[in-house]
Amino acid sequence: MGFYSYLVVSTILFVLGIVAVLARKNIIAILLGLELILNASALNFVTYTRFVNNNIDGHIFALFIIIVAAAEAAVGLAIVLRFFQIRETIHVDDATQLQG
Amino acid sequence: MNQTVVSYLLQFEPIKKLVLSLSNLLGFNAISIVSFLIFLIVILIVVGFLATVGGLGTYAERKISADMQARIGPNRVGPYGILQFLADGAKMLLKEDIIPTQSDKFLFYVAPMLCIVGVFGTIAVIPFSSGFTILNFNVGLVYLIGISSLVGLGVFLGGYGSNSKWSMLGGMRGASQIISYEIPVVLSSLSIVLLSGGLSFSALIGAQGGWPHEWFIFHNPFTFIGFFILFIGSLAETNRAPFDLPEAESELVSGYHTEFSGMRFGFFALAEYIEVFVVCGLATALFLGGYNVPMHLGGDGLIGQVLQVGSFVSKTFLLYYIVIVTRWTLPRLRVDQLMTMCWKYLIPIAMFNLIMVGLWMWLFDGRSLFTLLFKSASVASGAGH
Amino acid sequence: MFDTILFIFAALAAIVGGILTISVKNLMHACVFLLLTLLGVAGLYLTLGADFVGVIQLVVYVGGVVVLMVFAVMLTSGSNAQKVNRFGMVKIPTMGNFRTYTLAGIFAALILMSIIKLYRNVFSMARLEKLPEYYPTVSKIGHSLVSTHVLAFEISSVLLLGALVGAAIISRPKREMR
Repeated sequence: MGFYSYLVVSTILFVLGIVAVLARKNIIAILLGLELILNASALNFVTYTRFVNNNIDGHIFALFIIIVAAAEAAVGLAIVLRFFQIRETIHVDDATQLQG
Repeated sequence: MNQTVVSYLLQFEPIKKLVLSLSNLLGFNAISIVSFLIFLIVILIVVGFLATVGGLGTYAERKISADMQARIGPNRVGPYGILQFLADGAKMLLKEDIIPTQSDKFLFYVAPMLCIVGVFGTIAVIPFSSGFTILNFNVGLVYLIGISSLVGLGVFLGGYGSNSKWSMLGGMRGASQIISYEIPVVLSSLSIVLLSGGLSFSALIGAQGGWPHEWFIFHNPFTFIGFFILFIGSLAETNRAPFDLPEAESELVSGYHTEFSGMRFGFFALAEYIEVFVVCGLATALFLGGYNVPMHLGGDGLIGQVLQVGSFVSKTFLLYYIVIVTRWTLPRLRVDQLMTMCWKYLIPIAMFNLIMVGLWMWLFDGRSLFTLLFKSASVASGAGH
Repeated sequence: MFDTILFIFAALAAIVGGILTISVKNLMHACVFLLLTLLGVAGLYLTLGADFVGVIQLVVYVGGVVVLMVFAVMLTSGSNAQKVNRFGMVKIPTMGNFRTYTLAGIFAALILMSIIKLYRNVFSMARLEKLPEYYPTVSKIGHSLVSTHVLAFEISSVLLLGALVGAAIISRPKREMR
């Protein structure tokens, strides 16, 4: 519909993702916000491909963002499961074993 | 490019005259309104057809199972009991909608919706014929696989939201089964994509012919095995026996849809029967030649299109019959046997198939076994001149 | 006209899903709203002519990541954590309260200002006057992945292998030493 509309949507998603990462104290809820951030940036890349220079590299980069996000979600959730097995809680403020 | 049913219908004179007259009437180019109306009408027709197929699927299952078990099955409602599914539908609509108080009400609303959306979203790309496909999406195969994975999520959320042990177990088993068996299905489809060179259904079906020796199932021995892997994987995707552990009637009291009543349960059941039709259509399109008719009978006109629809639907119904007979023949697999079969047997075989099909493409230029055996023999014996 | 309507639907789905993801108190509901957001973003990709990226988003995110999140939520629920930490202070509720959202909002506003400053360069970039027709992107992406970006392609396959093996090992149940 317009270059600026897509940029506005991706900026809103990015900011919402940042709010989720900062405001929530549950590890999985923080990972949900992280997914929002990654999606917003991939949307930006694809927008530039269509409106700015029609170079297929934008789509390639969006594909790699999707791949990396999937791998990181898998490993992150495995770590969360391990943490839950040890500590019986998934509150971020309980991950304080290295704290002074 | 994407070709839709609208672009096919616009070849005909009456539609073009309609668009012209509407444009003169309204002042702007009426093509968008006409195309929206055509899409709406065709989608309603296809949705009605699929819902009827889903309902008649329940009837066919009861009749075929009765036949195999030496009983009669439903024969009271309508001639030979054929309106039984309408009676079942009316019963489900009139039932009281019970939602347990400790359950998650939002998930109770959402889970059947996800199953239905996951199944009805695929009708946009099902290739009924070369003209009547609603949208010949140029990545149609991947779209179908992606939308079908919504069903697994719906199964799991239904089980989790019911807040009951049996439903939870059924939901977990169902979701893990669906996401595990997506892998052999996708790998088998990928070997066909290698052979035909495109992801759209028109490319996949256009690379096959009408006669059985031109279908991909007989193209080389690896696609023959691939067809059975796709079929087994599709049986597990739709939670049909012998993989129906999530809804095992004798073990889990109906599994993940125990707590759903009335039309919510109706959505789950309808989604299952329509999904069987969709995956049988997928197997037909990929391996059995899709909508091709032998010798291109009827040409490209309307008669040819009707024959193509008939060819596709008859092959899909044949596979549907085989799915129903399989349910009432084979015993149910245990959950660890199910997972073992997927991860230790089907996935290695499917990966081997993919590599071997690639090797076949390189060695023999993608020609089928029949072409190699018979065409080369005829050329060698001088019959080609 | 239909392009605008489709864009508005997809954008609305993405933004409403995003707002609801970050504000609901129940974690499972937040995962369902994340699913809505991802579907909206897939729709936005399709309106931008990125057909392959859109359907891959559908397959990977909807069929993979959201199912993973939902499984993880189910496996880590039912924690009987204490309400006070070891210093005796009441812990912040796990899904955030008014204070955390306010602080996050202030910080997000700061980041928004810096993003808008970055956009000034973007808006002065030269743009295409005539948008190209929608073309199938699959063959271009395929050619590019094996010719120009083959290194990234191979490294990403090693990354996925590492993620697969790592996730399986990290979450393996602890076997007791006898």
